[in-house]
Amino acid sequence: MPGIFIIAEHKEGKLKKITFELLSQGKKLKGKSGEELCALLLGSNIENLATQLGAYGADKVFFLEDETLKDYTNESFTQAIDGVVKNQSPSILLGGATAQGKDLLPRVAARLGTGLAPDCVNIELEDNGLLKITRPIYAGKVLMEVTIPQSRPQMATLRPNVVEVLPKDDSKTAEVIKSKLDLKKEDFKSVLKEILKGESKKIDITEANIIVSGGRGMKAKENFKILEELADAFGEGTAVGASRAAVDSDFALHDIQVGQTGKVVNPTLYIACGISGSIQHLAGMSTSKYIVAINKDPEAPIFQKADYGIVGDLFEVVPLLTQEVKKLKSET
Amino acid sequence: MEISREIFWNVEGVRLIVYLLALIPIFLLVFGLWKKIKLWRIGKKENRYDQIWRRIGTKIYYGALQVRNLEKIFPGIVHLFIFWGFVILFIGTLIIFLQEDITLPIFNYNFFQGNFYLWYSLILDLFGLLAIIGVLLALCRRIFLRPESLDNKSEDFLSLYWFLLVLLTGFSNEGLRIAATNPDFERWSFAGWQIASGIKLLRLDIASIQILHRISWWTHLLLAFGFIGYIAYSKLLHIISSPLNIFFRSFEPIGLIKPIPDLENQETFGVSKLEEFTWKDLLDTDACTKCGRCEDSCPAWVSSKPLSPKKVILDLKSHLLEKGKLLLRKKELNPEKNLIGEVILEDELWACTTCGACVRVCPVTIEHLLKIVEMRRNLVLMQSRFPSELSLFFKNLENNYNPWTVGFATRADWAKDLKLKLFSQEKDIEYLYWVGCAGCFDERVKKVSRTLVSILNQAGINFGILGTEEYCCGDSARRIGNEYLAQILIQQNIETFKKYTIKKMIVSCPHGYNIFKNEYPLSGYELEVIHHSELIYDLIKKGKLNLGKKLNYKITYHDSCYLGRYNRVYEVPRKLLKALSLNLKEMELAKDRGFCCGAGGGRMWMEEKLGQRINQMRIKQAQKTEAEIVATACPYCLTMLEDGIKELEIKDIKTLDLAEILELSLQK
Amino acid sequence: MNIVVCLKQVPDTETKIVLNPDSSNILTEGIKWVMNPYDEYAVEEGLKIKEKFGGKLTILSMGPERSIEAMRTALATGADEGVLLNDSAFEGSDSYATALILSKALSQTGYDIILTGKQAVDLDCSQVYAVLAEFLNLPYVSVVVGLELFPDQKKALAKRETEGGEKELIEVNLPAIFACQKDLNIPRYASLPGIMKAKKKEIKKLGLNDLGLKPEEVGEAGSKIKKGKYFLPPPRKAGIKIEGEIPEATAKLVKLLREEAKLI
Repeated sequence: MPGIFIIAEHKEGKLKKITFELLSQGKKLKGKSGEELCALLLGSNIENLATQLGAYGADKVFFLEDETLKDYTNESFTQAIDGVVKNQSPSILLGGATAQGKDLLPRVAARLGTGLAPDCVNIELEDNGLLKITRPIYAGKVLMEVTIPQSRPQMATLRPNVVEVLPKDDSKTAEVIKSKLDLKKEDFKSVLKEILKGESKKIDITEANIIVSGGRGMKAKENFKILEELADAFGEGTAVGASRAAVDSDFALHDIQVGQTGKVVNPTLYIACGISGSIQHLAGMSTSKYIVAINKDPEAPIFQKADYGIVGDLFEVVPLLTQEVKKLKSET
Repeated sequence: MEISREIFWNVEGVRLIVYLLALIPIFLLVFGLWKKIKLWRIGKKENRYDQIWRRIGTKIYYGALQVRNLEKIFPGIVHLFIFWGFVILFIGTLIIFLQEDITLPIFNYNFFQGNFYLWYSLILDLFGLLAIIGVLLALCRRIFLRPESLDNKSEDFLSLYWFLLVLLTGFSNEGLRIAATNPDFERWSFAGWQIASGIKLLRLDIASIQILHRISWWTHLLLAFGFIGYIAYSKLLHIISSPLNIFFRSFEPIGLIKPIPDLENQETFGVSKLEEFTWKDLLDTDACTKCGRCEDSCPAWVSSKPLSPKKVILDLKSHLLEKGKLLLRKKELNPEKNLIGEVILEDELWACTTCGACVRVCPVTIEHLLKIVEMRRNLVLMQSRFPSELSLFFKNLENNYNPWTVGFATRADWAKDLKLKLFSQEKDIEYLYWVGCAGCFDERVKKVSRTLVSILNQAGINFGILGTEEYCCGDSARRIGNEYLAQILIQQNIETFKKYTIKKMIVSCPHGYNIFKNEYPLSGYELEVIHHSELIYDLIKKGKLNLGKKLNYKITYHDSCYLGRYNRVYEVPRKLLKALSLNLKEMELAKDRGFCCGAGGGRMWMEEKLGQRINQMRIKQAQKTEAEIVATACPYCLTMLEDGIKELEIKDIKTLDLAEILELSLQK
Repeated sequence: MNIVVCLKQVPDTETKIVLNPDSSNILTEGIKWVMNPYDEYAVEEGLKIKEKFGGKLTILSMGPERSIEAMRTALATGADEGVLLNDSAFEGSDSYATALILSKALSQTGYDIILTGKQAVDLDCSQVYAVLAEFLNLPYVSVVVGLELFPDQKKALAKRETEGGEKELIEVNLPAIFACQKDLNIPRYASLPGIMKAKKKEIKKLGLNDLGLKPEEVGEAGSKIKKGKYFLPPPRKAGIKIEGEIPEATAKLVKLLREEAKLI
């Protein structure tokens, strides 16, 4: 019997947010088709996570356990998933468009000989049982709809932070079906040797999701501290950047310079503090999804490119912003 | 008594010895020159043999009249004295030779007498004296004033002292002779006469004077002969190489960079070896007298970058001596010293803003600029070595025909609401307004474009733009050395010009102005190019603009190197400002001595990591005039100077383009 | 070493994208076509491997004739030869069909190592290298930011970028496929002699029959994904300057970031 399967992602003993998003998406699809919503959980020593999966909507959890699955590799996970899917024949298989999902799902789809729609922003189930999937192309400048008419399961990876997580119901539990697989390390041609953690929380600005950047208006090197505090308030995946003017004035080092002669960045959120927005700077960050500008000068060119702007003294605005962000985050 | 003098008086019977001895310095000179010529000819061919009359004229202007040298008045006069002293005295000696060995024995004609002789004596004394004064002042300058750009080597002092001794012994010859022979007409040799009077005070008898005279005479002869022989082996070579260099100078506009012809079929590009320079390049290195004026005017040098035009030339000179010698003997330099990287450092090459001050100021017309660009060409086209920030710059030009990562489809967005005519849609447009990359994309410079459009509309000018068919003019790419990329852009623009048969262009960027006017014709398209200041001034003169509001600003004008030094447009912008009744005060370094803003030569796209910031230096220079506004005529200068003001956090000065200043005074 | 780089020609990222009248695709007029930016890192890595271990670097691309331009850019920096997979039957291939076509070509060229960019910036699927790996039964590492080869031991050590500043160190057997990420290396700029020489380097063209494929295996017929409508996202709202006193404005900003931008 068909089913809607999702691949659960977990890290360091905790389920990741994308898993809940996938379950919420699954619930919506289930509402239309009436099929069972099942989660695939791969790993070792993580059975406890199964209960959470139930609370967020899974009817069944296929817990694939094996020592080799303790570390993620696309080969071993594909093999494991292949087994279950061939066994259960779900109609739909979803994963997250996360680092792991983007690496894993394509191989799974190829192994299953089916189509995969990657990085989707909208998934709907039509009456004919086909998923109508919307995904961004050309760096999000265009959206396209796709379907997977023939091959099964219909596969897709869901973009994180797009689907709202539906409230959990702790009364709901999922049936846990545990399989012990017998995967041999020697069968695989790749092995994870080591996970290299980033140095403290300093990630490279080109990898950051949120960048708080300072310009000439920062006036002094020490003042960059308030930008670091704002970045920290946002949490993980944030970094502090600087404009060329700030670097030239020795307020910051060149390795965080954003711009044509520095680094080109592509974060989801770019907060420009005391940056006028010369074209050389814009060339380095104009593809940011959201741009916020804080500047005393209402005529500063950055306001032409910013989605949201505050005309004011950054030394007033930034600390307040930090406070507000912290407040809001603690409420979640 | 006959008004003349006996040539070999008191030294009879030495004629033959003298002539034989003379062979030595002559031989040394000719041989030395010959070796130098061979070294210069290691270089490639170059045609500098055209316009002979113009060359003779330029030789007189810069060489004989020392016009450029006199721009620095004190050393200019010093050298003028030394130079003319040497020349006159040398001619004087030739006259004696002529008399003694040609006219008298062959034609039996004695012209060395009477009035001729008197004037001869006077003039020679005068110039001899001036020469001595010149040498003494030169020594004072080296010993006491010690300007930084003057390197004081032993060779410099030796040459001066030697010449001084030649001069002094020449006068002692004359003085002693006059003291012994005592003809009254010798008052005309006023200096010698005074010396003779002094000698007479010693109350020596004629025989003693004659002995002293002989000693002096031989000393003078040997010193003079030695001096002549020394010429080809010392800085004195400039006596010959510098005038030659002036004669063979380029008449092209400063900074003209010719396209590399037939790119497809060349194997090497630019210069990476000594022998890839032309003979004229190599002659340049020997014409240098180490005066240091190029260094003093170089914005890179004065802002503490490693580039000194003087050092480049002198390093090439030593390299020529070292490698040239071996090349001529067909030997290998082992290990071969790299021209780029060892003789000349890459940092030196990239520091150049191509401002042309060095070329403008050199008294012996050395052409430093093109050598730097040729070496850059090699670095970029052959070795792919260039400041890393230029990779993105090149990519942007290749993919989007502008230096920033902005889609070319948005090039006309700045004028969306202005309803400008597009050449692709309308016919019968008189002028092309070339907006330029900055004018289309840079927020600050867009304001200038819009202002100019409003002015053109007010004056009823029939103009249009190319919109998205406008590609970067190629100036920066060419100056940086990426000739391939520059030619791609140039050819594309020329295709567009041909498509619309563009005849007249208004351009507000001097870099565009320069390349369209001087270099596009070399690639196959000529058109009339007008800088917006020229057009505006013309409109003012013809009364087509409604000037009304009196402006009351203290203003100074910053000359753009590419408009000023390169194309000699100095007066029109100034006349424009004066026509707006502005109180214009010049900076110390203005017009053809203007100080660069720092952005030329592609430096706008590179990081300025070494030394001081050139734009800040220029703003400080502007501040000295107490001006409230610094007027500019170039988007690069505008950007650099505005940045300088912001960096220095100065509140009481701002920069405006000439068009913006005009707009302030227009009645609405 | 037999090094193969899979390359795709895509529209420049700054090019204005316009949809065709029936919204079935984008208009190709006025597009500036360039080598996929991520493929530049693959090409550079290929060049570095060739410099270190010797061998041949082949550029493999599936696409229309104009793809040759992008291949020549790679050849200009030092690649030895190109193979263009070009056939009207290939048009409309999804990642699955594309990988099938590439796998057939790779079986002909042979390979010790295959390099690709981590995604093509037109359709942003980031899939082909994985499907290719399945067809060729090879391991792969995606989002590679570091690579060390040990050809004698037939192994490689790759650094893979994950999330939050973390990286994984993965050991794979060779041959393998590596999908290259930005900052893996610094792509070199082609010298002019290189550009000139590239014009003479061989680019072999292979079609449907040369690869032994049937029409129903490729193109739209062979694709698992069916393309539907193209449409433009809602236009980016004009930027707004948030009014009010600083404390209010700041609070408003945070609210907007959470609600509209979904960032907090």
